[in-house]
Amino acid sequence: MATYRRGRGLGDRLLLLAVVALAIVWIAPIVWVIGLSFKPNDVLMRSTGGIHLPPFTLKNYVDIIASSQVFAWMLNSFIVAIGQTVLTLVIASLAGYGFARTNFPGRNVLFVLVLAALAVPEQAIIVPLHTMFAAVDLHNTYAALIAPRLAFPFGVLLMTQYFRAIPAEIEEAALLDRASRLKVFWRIVLPLSIPAQATLGIYTFLHAWNEYFWPLVSATKPAMYTLTVGLASMQTNFAQTEGIGFLMAQAVFAGLPVLILYLFFQRHIVSAVAGGGNK
Amino acid sequence: MAELSLRNVSKRFGAVEVIRDLSLDIPSGEFAVFLGPSGCGKSTLLRMIAGLEAVGSGEIHLGGARIDTMAPGDRGIAMVFQHYALYPHMTVRENMAFGLRNIGTPPAEIERKIADAAEMLEIGELLARKPTQLSGGQRQRVAIGRAIVKQPRAFLFDEPLSNLDAALRSRTRIELARLHQRVSSTMIFVTHDQVEAMTMATRIVVMNQGRIEQVGTPMEIYQRPRTRFVAGFIGAPAMNFLPVTGVTGRGGMAVARLPDGSEVATEVPIGAVKAGATLTLGVRAEHVLPGNGAAAKVDVIERLGERTLVYANLSDGSAVVYDEPGDVQLSVGESVALTIDGAAAHLFGPDGLALHG
Ligand SMILES: Nc1ncnc2c1ncn2[C@@H]1O[C@H](COP(=O)(O)OP(=O)(O)O)[C@@H](O)[C@H]1O
Ligand SMILES: [Mg+2]
Repeated sequence: MATYRRGRGLGDRLLLLAVVALAIVWIAPIVWVIGLSFKPNDVLMRSTGGIHLPPFTLKNYVDIIASSQVFAWMLNSFIVAIGQTVLTLVIASLAGYGFARTNFPGRNVLFVLVLAALAVPEQAIIVPLHTMFAAVDLHNTYAALIAPRLAFPFGVLLMTQYFRAIPAEIEEAALLDRASRLKVFWRIVLPLSIPAQATLGIYTFLHAWNEYFWPLVSATKPAMYTLTVGLASMQTNFAQTEGIGFLMAQAVFAGLPVLILYLFFQRHIVSAVAGGGNK
Repeated sequence: MAELSLRNVSKRFGAVEVIRDLSLDIPSGEFAVFLGPSGCGKSTLLRMIAGLEAVGSGEIHLGGARIDTMAPGDRGIAMVFQHYALYPHMTVRENMAFGLRNIGTPPAEIERKIADAAEMLEIGELLARKPTQLSGGQRQRVAIGRAIVKQPRAFLFDEPLSNLDAALRSRTRIELARLHQRVSSTMIFVTHDQVEAMTMATRIVVMNQGRIEQVGTPMEIYQRPRTRFVAGFIGAPAMNFLPVTGVTGRGGMAVARLPDGSEVATEVPIGAVKAGATLTLGVRAEHVLPGNGAAAKVDVIERLGERTLVYANLSDGSAVVYDEPGDVQLSVGESVALTIDGAAAHLFGPDGLALHG
């Protein structure tokens, strides 16, 4: 049998060139950020060029770690991101299964409401949300940081569509195999929906980890800051001229967990972005 | 005693009545085939027996107990689905064990039952595989295995052969018939394929538009169709239908005149023919005998190998198909003379019902 050769036409080469060019555009600032984070701040005051030349320093990272609250903020971020991810998966799965497989009065109206919620920008409801949580005195709690995004319409939609695509016959076979409705969900439907769960889970985690606006509004006590809000609070001013290296180190530091997550779930993230997690 | 008994079962989806006041008794241990064209309600009926679809009205009894009010899992029924519906994330062994675990069967017994079924179906070496690693025929066997291990009162099959290629289909037909002899459970098999029905059934239930047209053994259905629909649906090529232009009596039997003027002496008592009714004569290809008789012109010749089908037109233009063993020395356009074997011919009234004595 002839060996299979990858196409090496001119079109492919041009495409490769374009992809590399795009990658450089994407990566360059990140490389710069990382480079700056290892430079002494007083050197950067004079010039931010020559990041590949000494002197180098770890002081910026030591400063972050030395600031007593960074690890507490990181823990907050983890609690919020994991809490939000787990609860979003539970709620979106149950709601999605309900929409996909059960028939109850008002189902279609409810589903249209979910779809309509897709069109509401998150920023638009910040003020009412703030008022609501203030009214029940929940600001500066994990509940306030986690709760607002749990009924995530996109997640419900994603799970509904995914469950609908699972052949009903498989669930019927399980019913005939004497599985209860709950068991069918737990032993058949959930395992079959792992790709969609991974997509939604990763997406939710990343979003929660990077979320800035709502924690900024809700968490006013430094002890309840998430990492994004906490690191931002360490900046002295917005037109930063001093401590640029420190600032860059913060950015790298905040991005590390996401990077680690990416390394673990690379395959799922790619398919999540590429095709909504469908096989 | 009837094992499975349907009593005045009806079902509608919205405004569409899919099953219409259907009653049926199937004795224990039968291989019953529900046969009918696509959309006539076979699957709906099967799913109501399984409990996957609620009955609209009426009752279903199995083994003396009313089951239409029970949950699907409690009815003692196993079903083999058209697309097999194996659990994709479980191995073959887990697929078969799932139902047994759910009723708390001890692990050793589960193993034994799986081993027995695997041996019977020759899927022993597939037990550790996932469904995606199996061919269509192998999936089919696993689906049957998953049903067998449960030792159900009744097996339900919904067109399980329709996704197999022709060779595998005929092999599986034989194996299912053999399986039925071995497990001696009641089997209900749904298909739109009359060959499957004829070859496997001990009893065929012909359905049309949500109603039963006829219930009988394969040969009863073939030789004495109760309606024109049954007559036309069973048998390949389809039965010839010719309009009857007049009926006379001879020796108490009806003699039908055809549009080309020829006459067919049937064995239908003349007393069964209502005066003035428009009748149709039905006769199978094998009962149209070439040699002498009415003149016809050959239109199409189909050589099937063991026999040849000849489609010819009578002098008035009406089409008739007959068959001859082996090959024929004929060409299109040639003239033949045909005689219809009146003893094997049927007469159908305007309501589609066959006329009998
Ligand atoms: N869930 C359903 N909702 C509405 N109509 C249905 C449903 N299931 C089946 N039907 C209709 O009922 C009729 C019979 O369907 P079915 O039992 O699947 O026929 P068969 O199996 O004989 O091909 C068809 O006209 C089909 O469109
Ligand atoms: Mg069907």
